[in-house]
Amino acid sequence: MSNPRPPPDPARRPFPVTPRVSVAASLLVAGLAAWLALDAPLARLVPESGGLAVAREFFAAALRPALDYEAPVPAGTPHILAQALAAARRTVVFATAAMSVALVLGIALGFLSTSAWWSGELSGGAGPLRRLCARTLGPTVWAAARLVIVVMRSVHELLWAVLFLAAFGLNTAGAVAAIAIPYGGTLAKIFSEMVEEAPRDAAWALRGAGATPLQVFVFGLVPRAAPDMAAYSFYRFECAVRSAAVLGFFGFPTLGYAIAQAFENLHYREVWTYLYALVALVLAIEAWSGALRRRFVA
Amino acid sequence: MSTAQRTALDLDRLRRERPRSRLARASLLGLVALVAYSWLGGDIALDDLFSTRRAENLARFLAVDAAPHALRGTDWGCSDWLAFAHGLWQDRGYAGLLQTLAISVLAIVLAGIAALGGAFLAARNVASPTPFGDAGRPGWPAWRVVAPLVRAWLVLLRAVPEYVWAFLLLAMLGPNAWPAVLALAIHNAGILGKLGAETVENLDPRPLSAWRSLGASRAQGAWLAALPLAANRYLLYFFYRFETCVREATVLGMLGVVSLGYWIQDSRAKQFYDEMLAFVVLGAGLVLAADLASALVRRALRRGA
Repeated sequence: MSNPRPPPDPARRPFPVTPRVSVAASLLVAGLAAWLALDAPLARLVPESGGLAVAREFFAAALRPALDYEAPVPAGTPHILAQALAAARRTVVFATAAMSVALVLGIALGFLSTSAWWSGELSGGAGPLRRLCARTLGPTVWAAARLVIVVMRSVHELLWAVLFLAAFGLNTAGAVAAIAIPYGGTLAKIFSEMVEEAPRDAAWALRGAGATPLQVFVFGLVPRAAPDMAAYSFYRFECAVRSAAVLGFFGFPTLGYAIAQAFENLHYREVWTYLYALVALVLAIEAWSGALRRRFVA
Repeated sequence: MSTAQRTALDLDRLRRERPRSRLARASLLGLVALVAYSWLGGDIALDDLFSTRRAENLARFLAVDAAPHALRGTDWGCSDWLAFAHGLWQDRGYAGLLQTLAISVLAIVLAGIAALGGAFLAARNVASPTPFGDAGRPGWPAWRVVAPLVRAWLVLLRAVPEYVWAFLLLAMLGPNAWPAVLALAIHNAGILGKLGAETVENLDPRPLSAWRSLGASRAQGAWLAALPLAANRYLLYFFYRFETCVREATVLGMLGVVSLGYWIQDSRAKQFYDEMLAFVVLGAGLVLAADLASALVRRALRRGA
């Protein structure tokens, strides 16, 4: 009598198909499908000889960024380094102004889209007002705030810029709004997630001491999330500087404008001068936020 | 001493001994000054935004430009607009949408594969000379420079904005989908590589050292201990970057690759603002769908962890 083979024990399969394995496998399939859907023949990956020369010239220029203009400029044009500095200054100005608005938007919407302060979870008593808040008012406000955040976030800052350009014409406040809107939405989303995931110890203690839900939220939850929120805001400031620079491609007077112009004139060494200015800006902010983070996390 | 007095004293002591940082205060002051300067320094023309010219611009945009061209001046309703949108969808919208999605998917998959290698080579607990007992083997001191070199490489990849990569690749490869795909892939490989390396470095060191003490090689240690432990977090980052990729893929089209962004830029150049608006809304819908899908997968991954 043949011994029936025991059913395979799923835990002892040589290569267990966990969610992450199936996700990774489907990703590879998705990548392949995407490649087939695109006009991307492998042969086009090989640059033509002209293309190679462009690349070589571009990267060779990285080693010697322009310290003076590569072509004659009209008299009275400031020196290229002064030009780069001025463009960098305007980039920071746009990014800072946008972040200041985005922070206000993010804190306000983040507060409204957090359920912790109205859901019964952290509230002590059960008065009629409290119940109205938890059952009707809270969820309505929460859903409305979520919807606003989603709309703000789903349009890229450059597309907001394009919309504002079409609606207002070239105006620097439009550039600020273009960054502030999606960034405000993102900050709101992340802030509310951070507050919802913050340790609840202080909140429970305050609740036990009889604090109202709002007090619990403001003094028990937000301070626990504040360091993370500050660190994330700094990171977004860095992104805002990059975005402000890129807005220059649409004519706003930031570093991107200078980069696009130098690119169009095939002045690759000038491109690198402005690129290095951008990298220096980003590195400076990173160093600043890194120093702050070490002070608070360590 | 009464309890109240003692509490007051304790509070006083707590207040005196609270952590204070000169750097944090200076930073706060500096930031406030920077914000004030940015608004008051004269670079941002707020008064111009509220001028009559801008108001007229806005009124014309909303009343005339945003309305479908064929319907302007007529008494059109919602169904007319839907018909207009349907025409655009069949004409260019669907193809552009598909193209944008394909660009972002291929880009993030390529970036994910490339960054996986980079993450291990940049992690100082895997790519270091000592722990794997290759001291004495020829060439072992070379591992001393691998992690710093790979890190510097990753910094270069992500420090150059994807737009600059796209500009350059367009000049090199000509107009097809590769410049957009590769620009996104290169930039995101830099970011995913950094995030992945941090993940690997923050892993529990015990599984890795257990394999090491059994005589596993560096590659075996990475494959058997580090990869399974880091995979979930890496996939979370992967999907987070995928969301960004979809956003950027739309925009990169504005540089000349035929994605939604190309049609946005095209209709902008022709001042067909009605079409432009429709394409922007379509792009927002794609971003929304991608965010939703990614959030669902990430939740499944968290649960499976």
